[in-house]
Amino acid sequence: MKNATDTSSSTADAQYKPCTYFEIDTTFIPAHEWPLAFIDMALSRGQEEHKLLRNTGIFREDIAGKNLQLSPQQCFQLTTNMQKHSHSDELSFLLGHRFFSTLDSEVTTALNNATNLQVAIDILLDHQTRLMPLLNLRSCYEQDRLLIYWQDSCGAETSTTFLLEMMCTALSALVRWQSGENFPWEFYFTHSKPTYIEQYEVHLHSNVQFSSQVNAMAIGRDYLYRPWKNSYATLLENALKTANEKRQTIPFQRGFLSELYHYLHHNIQHNPNLEQTADAFGMSSASLKRKLKKHHSHFQEQYDLVRKDLALYWLHEAGWSKEQVARELHFYDVANLRRAFKKWTGVLPGNR
Amino acid sequence: MLKLHKWKLLCLALVTNVALVGSLASGEIKSGQEWDWLDIVGEGGLVILALTWLLLILHSRPAGRVTNLLSLGLSAIFIAGFQDWLDEFIHFPDSALWDSWVESGFMPVGLVLLTWGIYHWHKEQLAISAQLRKRERLFREHRGLDFTTSLSGATYLRKQLDESLLEQRANDTSLALLLIDVDNFSEINRRYGHQQGDHLLQCLSEFILLNIRRNDLLCRYAGDRFALVLPNTGRLVADKMADEITNAVKHFAYKTNHQDESLFHSVSIGVALANSDRNLPDSADALIERATTALLRAKEKRGAALANAA
Repeated sequence: MKNATDTSSSTADAQYKPCTYFEIDTTFIPAHEWPLAFIDMALSRGQEEHKLLRNTGIFREDIAGKNLQLSPQQCFQLTTNMQKHSHSDELSFLLGHRFFSTLDSEVTTALNNATNLQVAIDILLDHQTRLMPLLNLRSCYEQDRLLIYWQDSCGAETSTTFLLEMMCTALSALVRWQSGENFPWEFYFTHSKPTYIEQYEVHLHSNVQFSSQVNAMAIGRDYLYRPWKNSYATLLENALKTANEKRQTIPFQRGFLSELYHYLHHNIQHNPNLEQTADAFGMSSASLKRKLKKHHSHFQEQYDLVRKDLALYWLHEAGWSKEQVARELHFYDVANLRRAFKKWTGVLPGNR
Repeated sequence: MLKLHKWKLLCLALVTNVALVGSLASGEIKSGQEWDWLDIVGEGGLVILALTWLLLILHSRPAGRVTNLLSLGLSAIFIAGFQDWLDEFIHFPDSALWDSWVESGFMPVGLVLLTWGIYHWHKEQLAISAQLRKRERLFREHRGLDFTTSLSGATYLRKQLDESLLEQRANDTSLALLLIDVDNFSEINRRYGHQQGDHLLQCLSEFILLNIRRNDLLCRYAGDRFALVLPNTGRLVADKMADEITNAVKHFAYKTNHQDESLFHSVSIGVALANSDRNLPDSADALIERATTALLRAKEKRGAALANAA
């Protein structure tokens, strides 16, 4: 991922070509990993099996065989069912604490022996297709902090909150366990403050902001290279070697929406429209529209998302002027940018 | 729970059957024109409702004296109603006195039995409420109950705190909130699995309940954090109770599934007192926030102490 980012930013005019991606109905998520832990946990908390598995096409007996693979759609249905029939708001957080131990992969060994946070984040970025394909992971430096963005990769809709809670808990619990100390994370979520705020307090420990512009967690740069106590460099090396060999068979892939986001992000200077994008993805405009609909989205939504993130970054982090941002985002003038920005974020540019 | 009561249901089916066969044998079936639909629907409705109540009660209760009384009463009402309903289809000769005996005899007997049963149910409920007292305060809400510990959750806590705070201001008394957090709880989950962790939380909640007063309220806040509301309690007593709970938990030998292994734990406790200043009324959230801050400070202190000792 980092390679792709570097090359495209160094040669500004070279077009980014879409890579292979998975879709909402691609079956590739091993069912005996976190989905099985999820089902077991929900059942042990009094959920009824037939209600939990309704419309998912999953049978519990099939999972034991370790060969069953699920599509993102099936995972989303599973979390939706759970939320509909259970009043337990803690499941996502509890699952987060267990998340990395449910993975049947060398990546877990590597993470458990990471020597510091930077190493762990690099492993997560490299192996995210294997670890948690449903949320796309990006990291980015902003002033003296590192931000880790979690973004819906293939149309999670109402399951997004669940997945975010799970993954933020998973990562912060891993860091706490490995480092032996509480890192002062700051969390940002786009959803509004939930009624079960106590779960965030107890499981995430730190500053949590709701109704934010992004889903992300941030940590001061000083914490990236603090040595962790529970790590063995040789174990880390061996595990990484095996994991990297295996990765040849499952190459890095983004979800369809993430890939589209990535494409638009890197081709913003060409002001891409639906036709050009469809062309780049090797399909007709009608097919692209259909595919977007299948992922519960449409072109304008994705394009606005990209422009919003870019505008936020350029204005607040890069310190660009509004005129410059308006020009780069192909707005006629600053007034139009202001109007669009207000529509995307609810506030005017400049007032953070 | 219906399995527990299968004999009761079998007897009822038998009696109903006898009534039906007896009626068919002694009377003549009425022709279609003689049927009074209003009566059929009205009386049939009573029969169905009596049966529904009976099934619901049997399904929700363990066997015992109160259950027997309630089910006997409802069964008698059901049979009286059923016989009355059969009247609509079967013409009884005047000599068949047993028909009116069943109709008019069973009904009052059933009602008396039912009333008696409900009276004892009421007594039983008072006894159960006394048992539950430390888990709920004068207000019952089953939807917020936590599956693991059967304590109420944070939503219930906030509601109760708001009410207690109003009461506290009105009566000019004091109120304390304790947040109790298990130290290194994630280690248990990691080492022994989350089922063991859940079980530990359940045991701890029972254990803490033993160490609090009749009017105190224990809730599960979230994860490994409990909340304890202490009405009419000032700083001194609150601190004393916090110390007592800390000491009690320290000596609690939790047994894992593995042979004779005992696990010992410690808890950190954050204490917050409701603001006694009338001009600055406290909210539940503000109180919880203060207790959380106190808890985090206590954790830090404990961490520092452990580091020094090591």
